[in-house]
Amino acid sequence: MKVQVLFFGATADAVGKREIEIDLTDETRANDAFQKIVRDYPQLEKHSLLFAVNQEYASGDEIIRNGDELAVFTHVSGG
Amino acid sequence: MRETKDRRPKTQDQKSKDFCELTREPLDVGAIARRVVPETCGATVTLDGYVRRFTGERQTLYLEYEGYEPMALKEMKKLIGQARGQFEIASVGIVHRLGKLEIGETSVVISVAAPHRRHAFEACEWLIKELKRVVPIWKKEVYADGEVWVEGEKQSAKN
Repeated sequence: MKVQVLFFGATADAVGKREIEIDLTDETRANDAFQKIVRDYPQLEKHSLLFAVNQEYASGDEIIRNGDELAVFTHVSGG
Repeated sequence: MRETKDRRPKTQDQKSKDFCELTREPLDVGAIARRVVPETCGATVTLDGYVRRFTGERQTLYLEYEGYEPMALKEMKKLIGQARGQFEIASVGIVHRLGKLEIGETSVVISVAAPHRRHAFEACEWLIKELKRVVPIWKKEVYADGEVWVEGEKQSAKN
């Protein structure tokens, strides 16, 4: 199944893209999906990362479904 | 991009004047503050957060803010709900600007109206602290000799 992964700020610069699509097997856990993304883009490893599934902070236990929206970003710095 | 109270979840009190928005336009602090004022209140506390020239010894030329916009709006709405649960306040408005901001320009406005000022001060302080911890917005500081995405404190992480 295909899912969309979004990057912002520092992670978008590190990956060189704001958005990618990745292929996952059904019933993939969020933690495994995020580990795969970091394996594919090891330049992300030097950042302390936060993950979201469908626009909510991820615990890591979520089961990823076809069409879900994942996001990988650094600790926030708004305000 | 602009999200107004017209799109609030139906479960929210329709009489409340709460709002949260993201915009690329300059912020009018006074106008935002006036929008939250109900007749039952005696005080509005408004935070006007703006772009600082110096961070440590380094001189910033300008800032660029980027947001994960739908998630940022969701998190801002959650914060308003939590603030209403914790503090005796009547209404809250939060507006964060995105895009390029010059030194001195307002990046964030948080206005809290309450029957009594103490609760408005406490809620406003809590809201900016939480916004900086959980709302997915990032700033890039641009200097004469480079630029850097500011990464928030690790211990501030959600989860």
